[in-house]
Amino acid sequence: MTERLTVEFTPAEGAVIRVLGVVERRGYVLRGLSMKEKADTASLVIDVEPREASRRVPVLAQQLARLVDVRSVSLAARDAGSLA
Amino acid sequence: MSSAAQASPSPQPLPVSGARLVVEALEREGVKHVFGYPGGAIMPVYDALTGSSLQHILVRHEQAAALAADAYGRVTGRPGVCLATSGPGATNLVTGIANAFLDSVPMVAITGQVGSPLMGTDAFQEVDIFGITLPIVKHSFIIRNTADIPRIFAEAFRIASSGRPGPVLIDLPKDVGVLTANPEPFELPDEPAAPLDEASIALANALIAEAKAPVIYFGGGVAIARAERALRDLAQRMGVPSVSTLKGLGCIPSDEPNYLGMLGMHGARAANIAIDNCDLLICVGARFDDRATGKLDSFAARAKVIHIDGDAAEIGKLRVPEVGLAGDVSSILGRLTAVPKIADWAQQCRAQRKMWAPRYDAPGQGIYAPALLKELSEAAGDKAIFTCDVGQHQMWVAQHCQFSRPQAHLTSGGLGTMGYGVPAGMGAVLAEPDATVITVSGDGSFMMNVQELATLRRYRLPLKIVLIDNSQLGMVRQWQELFFEENFSEIDLSDNPDFSEVAHSFGIEAFTIDHRSQVGPAIQRLLRTSGPILLHVRIDPRENVWPLVPPNSSNVQMMEKGW
Repeated sequence: MTERLTVEFTPAEGAVIRVLGVVERRGYVLRGLSMKEKADTASLVIDVEPREASRRVPVLAQQLARLVDVRSVSLAARDAGSLA
Repeated sequence: MSSAAQASPSPQPLPVSGARLVVEALEREGVKHVFGYPGGAIMPVYDALTGSSLQHILVRHEQAAALAADAYGRVTGRPGVCLATSGPGATNLVTGIANAFLDSVPMVAITGQVGSPLMGTDAFQEVDIFGITLPIVKHSFIIRNTADIPRIFAEAFRIASSGRPGPVLIDLPKDVGVLTANPEPFELPDEPAAPLDEASIALANALIAEAKAPVIYFGGGVAIARAERALRDLAQRMGVPSVSTLKGLGCIPSDEPNYLGMLGMHGARAANIAIDNCDLLICVGARFDDRATGKLDSFAARAKVIHIDGDAAEIGKLRVPEVGLAGDVSSILGRLTAVPKIADWAQQCRAQRKMWAPRYDAPGQGIYAPALLKELSEAAGDKAIFTCDVGQHQMWVAQHCQFSRPQAHLTSGGLGTMGYGVPAGMGAVLAEPDATVITVSGDGSFMMNVQELATLRRYRLPLKIVLIDNSQLGMVRQWQELFFEENFSEIDLSDNPDFSEVAHSFGIEAFTIDHRSQVGPAIQRLLRTSGPILLHVRIDPRENVWPLVPPNSSNVQMMEKGW
């Protein structure tokens, strides 16, 4: 099942790659991505799907939340395909 | 002085070079030692180092700089600092940075970079070390403006040591180090502590109160949080049996009656049995690592779990607990006040510990490494710090040495870095000069950073090296014997050099033993020698580490030695 995470972060050098790197290294496939930036903040909306059933997206959210540039992570279950 | 001069406003401070700002930032952070190796892109910083209060330790390979900084950080609790040039200097740090990341060690790694205009052009000694290290740092910076140097260094040190510690990389383009600036004053924002979850605390106390067979399973997160005292108080208050991971050793003293030893693949049988039978697992600063749990779904299978950690991302990662408590570990432990009625269970666990105590009466006259290490540990006492390499000797140290504080056992737990031992010993000697620092190495691991004998010699670092030599890659050989039908593949090191002669050639005292009767006198000589010394110990190449949990097995399916 694909789930959607919204990641608010400070757009420092490397911040986007750091977020996407954690998603892939922790065992998730990136199914969708969009980014907005304004002033000193940015947000990524990402759709992820675990590579195996034992991976839990709330744990991924915590792993993203501990990145220094990340301000908040919110999670909402959704069906794939609606990221525009 | 004229009155006109007296009345003039104070002059603008002279601009300072970036390299000078780097050195001043390190001094401001209280750094005393920097482990490094110079080269082209980092030369401005080396130029500024002269005349500073920092003692630079010139290693012979950058990997050793990072590993020494790692050990320095573990012992002091403050970030160890390593320094290297761009390109190969930076990439040689990578293993040490990864080592610190996997074991959550505070470290600041500084790399020179080619000049800003050359970045991205494949210039000489240019690599994207920022990109290379992204998965193995807690955070990283490329400094684009000289004026940002003081703020970035202050941030880096705070990030490296706060919360769950880790390595922070600072990449410094050469021109940024050469240009001058007058940095603006700055303040780092406060980091408010998250409040404890009172409902979860209450639930945890309720689970503890009703438990009939609880076990405390603790790991390196206790030492990271400097929560040893709170853990010991908790264990004593509750009278609950406890088991340790490899990285938790020393958080509860080895001689504590309710402490059952290390759990897991090479753990104590009493520890693994207690975990198998427990009805409540109180996990403190541990992360259900596969080496500790064996087959995860059979680990404490009947137990409810309370998971306490400084890092919220560890809770529920591999085992979903009944209660998860993230935050300041000492504060949380202090709030667990329920006391279970478990006298029979605790007595049963103590009896198991006695029943399965290691034996040291190995047959023959050759040197039995576990017995040597036990004797060495007892002779060295509480002031000793052991650093290990990786392999059979690492497990023997964990099983047979006594630890009364976690900083006394420095081991590469997460990454399993062969070559860690000697550089870590260097870092430990400098971090705690009054300690008796002993590196236990194997013949495979030792050769991976053998060049650091020159560093020991140069700085007269009184490191005591015990090199356990079986002329094999012993742990690989053991697994090939047991699990690969004795198909021994590329484990023979019988063409090793004469290690005593190698040490002598570096100007280091050394001697070799191969008979049981030589052990006592050798340990005495090792401990009373004031400078660096190497004790080369030849052992039977067929010796294995016991007990052993086979791969994909439950921890109670332990294989034991045959005598």
